[in-house]
Amino acid sequence: MADFDVEPGAARDNVLVASESFENFEQMSSSLEEIMSVNAISTAAEIEDDTTTNTQEDITHNQENGSEINEKQEDVENSLDWTNKRKHIFVISTAGKPIYSRYGNEDKLAWLFGVMLGLFRYSRDSIKSIHAGDTTYVFLSKKPLILVAVSKTGECVNQLTLQLNYVFNQIVSMLTLKRLTKIYDEKANYDLRRLLTGVDRLIDHLLDFSENEPAFTLGAIQCLPLAISERDSISKIIKDACSKIRNLVFAILLGNNRLISLVQMKKYHLHPADLHLIFNLVQATESLKYSESWTPLCLPRFDNSGYLYAHVSYLADDCQACLLLLTVEKDVFFPLSEAKQKIVEKLRMGNNLEHINTSLAALEESALATGFPELRHYLYKCKSTVQFYQPALCPPYTKNKVRLIELYKRAHQKMHCPTRPLKLSFERSSDEAVFSWDTKGFELYAVFEPLIDTASAINCVSKLLNWIKKREDKLFHLNAYTF
Amino acid sequence: MTATDDSMDDDVFETQEDTDNKLKLLENSIDRKADTRSPTGYRGYKPPTEVLNLCKTNVLDDVQIVIHKTILLGDSGVGKTSLLVKFDTGKFESGKFSATVGIGFTTKVVEVDDTKVKLQIWDTAGQERFRSVTHAYYRDAHALLLLYDVTNKHSFDNIRAWLGEISDYAQDDVAIMLLGNKADCGTERAVRRELGERLAKEYNVAFMETSAKSGQNVELAFHAVAKELKCRRDGHKDPNRFNVQDYIREQTQDNSAVQQCPPCSY
Repeated sequence: MADFDVEPGAARDNVLVASESFENFEQMSSSLEEIMSVNAISTAAEIEDDTTTNTQEDITHNQENGSEINEKQEDVENSLDWTNKRKHIFVISTAGKPIYSRYGNEDKLAWLFGVMLGLFRYSRDSIKSIHAGDTTYVFLSKKPLILVAVSKTGECVNQLTLQLNYVFNQIVSMLTLKRLTKIYDEKANYDLRRLLTGVDRLIDHLLDFSENEPAFTLGAIQCLPLAISERDSISKIIKDACSKIRNLVFAILLGNNRLISLVQMKKYHLHPADLHLIFNLVQATESLKYSESWTPLCLPRFDNSGYLYAHVSYLADDCQACLLLLTVEKDVFFPLSEAKQKIVEKLRMGNNLEHINTSLAALEESALATGFPELRHYLYKCKSTVQFYQPALCPPYTKNKVRLIELYKRAHQKMHCPTRPLKLSFERSSDEAVFSWDTKGFELYAVFEPLIDTASAINCVSKLLNWIKKREDKLFHLNAYTF
Repeated sequence: MTATDDSMDDDVFETQEDTDNKLKLLENSIDRKADTRSPTGYRGYKPPTEVLNLCKTNVLDDVQIVIHKTILLGDSGVGKTSLLVKFDTGKFESGKFSATVGIGFTTKVVEVDDTKVKLQIWDTAGQERFRSVTHAYYRDAHALLLLYDVTNKHSFDNIRAWLGEISDYAQDDVAIMLLGNKADCGTERAVRRELGERLAKEYNVAFMETSAKSGQNVELAFHAVAKELKCRRDGHKDPNRFNVQDYIREQTQDNSAVQQCPPCSY
């Protein structure tokens, strides 16, 4: 096996908050107030543990046949189609008001919400999952909401809970947890959909996105490949242009769902889960391309109690990278708009735009093309920097990416199963061979041709790690810049 | 390689409290943007001389440019962004835009009686949760385009509430134009044209029906606003001053004589 002092992709300064992918989302920091009182000495302990402890035990009911939910299908239009969906996601308020259903009109599903709420209440809110045949029902109570997943995808409870957490965070990012709690404190039967107009589309997109991108399972971010000097130069331009703007917290440049550059205020770090929400927002909102936008945005992992304000714009007509400037100030659209112009000018003068364009246009190489003929695809995650790299898709997964992602989800689950986590696994099936390796510094998941023997697989992995190490400064965002 | 040129650093980014200063800065930046935009972004790219000349003349013209702030308002989903994109780029793509987040900023130069008027257009999100952000921009607006969807009665019923908000937050002399969008809808129509006209009359605001899809009246809506604002700015105080309603009637007469509101009394 390859031997490194430091795992590929590790860096001295962490750009993002390192986290375990399955960690619960209860930890939230309250960074906003801190920044507002700029000169106050901040304490290192920003993390306050939430009141709800996670000691609830899994209650697993094994039911012989499918649940009663399936029997009431005639109530819903296109019922067969509806029941055959592989994964349903529902959001209800604690009072039982429908808020969101991934498929179908949630108003017509009132009966179903009643059943779910009844079950949940009956168990005194302690139910976490129900397993019935090939269907898994997962409940997540996030006061004042209850989220439910009904899945036939074979994902484990942890992974479904993670997805539900993302849905909850998406809602919080639009309203803030403070406001959400306040609304329900004042009026328990409030119809939240009034405030969430348009958010259903964001949630729809988030769910599809999380089923198509390994980033969510890994809890990591992928960067746009750029020479280290290039990335540094871009970060420096952003830093210089924004250095005089007070209370600017994050400047994020992204393109094609890849991070190009991230500059942050000293002492503050962006959490990958927040960055995923930002990627989702940018990707799902077409209108951002047509104008400079200014919007309040709550980053739940950063601070769920208040808004940051985001100036969002694409760099130029000829460079489709999206720049977000996030500040705590409410009314600095024009200074930020100015700063953006300046950034674009300097990037143009330094030919950085050209390089970004080249990298955006270049298709990532497949594993095959980089000299690993038996390797179909892989994910490499550097744990300390929470960044990962994946090569381009190649057959047989080009047409069915979801299958590959589900393969990875199974492998990931094996490595992170709470009762019996594995460190190393090599599993061969008639379709492919999957190698998973979890070390202190990195995680690697590799999908090989099914006929590969163990020795060549290990040999290949070792070569691959060397290959990544050699390119780490291009594939990962290594140097952190701060305002 | 560090490509930044430190000599270029300057202190432009002090917080500018003064709105006029902000405006000037903004104008500069927009002009600069127009100058530096190149079709390729590649090093050493030089636009042909005639293009450069064009740019130069533009810069000269821009000196006399008048800036007007216009805000698009209305319920979520009535087509504010579609209308703006149609006006800005001439394109319409059905169902493409998911809800606007917060507020979007676009500028567009239109020509009114041989003078250029720069419209700064704020496209707002219709959702309730963004109200606090959008309210902050009402105050600076010179004109408001208030949209409803002629296929959605509810969006029309909300117009009174919108007008109430406008009177709470906007300047008293703001130019308001009521637009019934999606006029191409055919049988799906839920709000008759006369209803819109009557409401507009009641509040003494200009009215027309538009369609971002077919392009009907899209240019006209923005041009009428620009014209109205320009006339106000020129200080036409006499009774024969430009009247936006008359202008609209004049402009739409040719193609929509049939749709004209019949006289209310026999």
